[in-house]
Amino acid sequence: MTKYLVTRIFAAIVTVWVTTIAVSMLIHVVPGDPVQIMYAQSQGTTPEQLENIRRSLGLDQPIVTQYFMYMKKLMHGDLGHTIRGEQPVMDLLLLHLPYTLLLAGTALVIAIAIGMPLGFIAAYKRGSWLDTSLMTAAILGVSMPSFWLGLILLFTFAVRLEWLPVAGSGIQNLVLPAITLGVANAAIIARLTRSSMIDIFDQDFIRTARAKGLPRATVLYRHALRAGLVPIVTMIGMQFTYMMGGAIVVENVFGWNGVGRMAIQAIFQRDYPLIQGFILMFAIIVVIVSVLMDLLYVRLDPRIRYR
Amino acid sequence: MQKSNMGAALLGARTPPAPSEDVDARSLHSPLRRFVEAVFANRGAAIGFVLVAFLVFVAIFAPVLAPYSPDEMGAGDMLGPPSLSHPFGTDEFGRDMFSRVIHGTRLTIQVGVIAVGISLTLGMLIGMISGYAGGWLERIFMRGVDVLFSFTETLIALAAVAVLGPSLTNAMIAVGIAAIPFYARVTYSVTLVECNKPYIEAAYASGAGHLRLLFRHLLPNVIPPLIVVATLGVSTAVLAAAALSFLGLGAQPPSPEWGAVLSAGRDYFNTAPWIMLYPGLAIMITVLAFNLLGDGIREALDPRQRKE
Repeated sequence: MTKYLVTRIFAAIVTVWVTTIAVSMLIHVVPGDPVQIMYAQSQGTTPEQLENIRRSLGLDQPIVTQYFMYMKKLMHGDLGHTIRGEQPVMDLLLLHLPYTLLLAGTALVIAIAIGMPLGFIAAYKRGSWLDTSLMTAAILGVSMPSFWLGLILLFTFAVRLEWLPVAGSGIQNLVLPAITLGVANAAIIARLTRSSMIDIFDQDFIRTARAKGLPRATVLYRHALRAGLVPIVTMIGMQFTYMMGGAIVVENVFGWNGVGRMAIQAIFQRDYPLIQGFILMFAIIVVIVSVLMDLLYVRLDPRIRYR
Repeated sequence: MQKSNMGAALLGARTPPAPSEDVDARSLHSPLRRFVEAVFANRGAAIGFVLVAFLVFVAIFAPVLAPYSPDEMGAGDMLGPPSLSHPFGTDEFGRDMFSRVIHGTRLTIQVGVIAVGISLTLGMLIGMISGYAGGWLERIFMRGVDVLFSFTETLIALAAVAVLGPSLTNAMIAVGIAAIPFYARVTYSVTLVECNKPYIEAAYASGAGHLRLLFRHLLPNVIPPLIVVATLGVSTAVLAAAALSFLGLGAQPPSPEWGAVLSAGRDYFNTAPWIMLYPGLAIMITVLAFNLLGDGIREALDPRQRKE
């Protein structure tokens, strides 16, 4: 088990390291002159000014030197400054990240609360009309573009009914985006839970438990759910990273003040330092979540714990 | 169903023999025919197939089917509600929404096919070579795939668009690149299983070279599971590309691409909700069609998942 964890953590470190290389090279794979592209929008920059900018970004140095400079700054928590406004990238990320985590976290809770029970019921009632209708609803939910659902909710509840504010970043503004993000993922979780539970229900130990006359509830909750939970939990870990991705879109529908909205604006403005910082931060979060999920997996599944 | 039971019987597995109704005349048909029958026996898959066929038809004959040009301004009133002459209403420039949605089908099918083509081709190559070659090639490729995989598709697609710049073509490429790790992983695991089968050994023993082994022997056996992944992949690609266009990072106005139309229509959703209603529905139906078809094919290939 220790070996398993060490391998996983080592892999995580490698991933982050490769990301730093990829991110610092990002600016070099941009077709054309990145400095010119970045400053295309601000009129009247002279060639001398562009040269100064290039020097201040370290772009006149050899690529390897640039990477070491980038890493040295990174070790001090310095991700550089934005092109527009010259703000420290780190500060901006830390300012907006909590909003995204709050949105993704709330949505995850909604998705689990809806998806897991429904998937469990569908698996238990496999083949019935209830199963069919739940899974039909789930596939519709999976197929619905989140930005469309978001617009419809926004239109219905904020514009028409005026129950909730249209834009902003208060707690009331969290409701619609969290539901939007949660519903689509509830559908995914319901489908995963159903197939995972069906696998479990078909296994010998469930039949044995039933055959020895245990009450149905005991078999369902003590035996089946416990065994079925293990794969579901790992899938939910991946789900959280999908949600972080989904949040980027949903934030832009609702004007939620998270990193996703910031990142899209950065892409429009060709603000490469900000884009680089965003990608690195996102990758680190994904890596941390996946390591945490592995720890949880080990905790939940005795077969791994005692290996 | 027949296929797996037969396989299990050959391997002397513990599974009980199939019920007699399974061993009917159908099992004597060719594997392809049995597969097609199994797909169509699934109601969802049949619906999915019909929808996909319909969408492809609309995509191909879009100019014939659309009553107006998608860019023709003043084809009707500005922001006109759905009517007989404009079934989906008109937008803020008086363009016919019905024609725009029809032409959008063409773009969307194109996006799905090209993006999946990119990820399937490259992912399959990487996966097959790593699984077949083993050694340091395998380690480098699959480690790289693992790293990319943990980035999630959204992030890779965003990074690719950030580098390439916003356009529909770049969005297709970005979405295609983003899914490569997934296809590579699936191909890799299938290849590992296939490589241990006797037919590969037999082909090698009869003197087949590496390329012949890879493309004549391995490839045909790697493809079936990838059909499922690719079909479901079209829906993911369509959703992702529509999202990019909606964010303004894909198709640009006046393109009738559904995501771009939705994005432009959001300003009018109070006065002309039909502008965002129909393109959204169209995206949903397309994604649903490929999801149903993919699920159906998977169930046909994997009897364990089939409903009783």
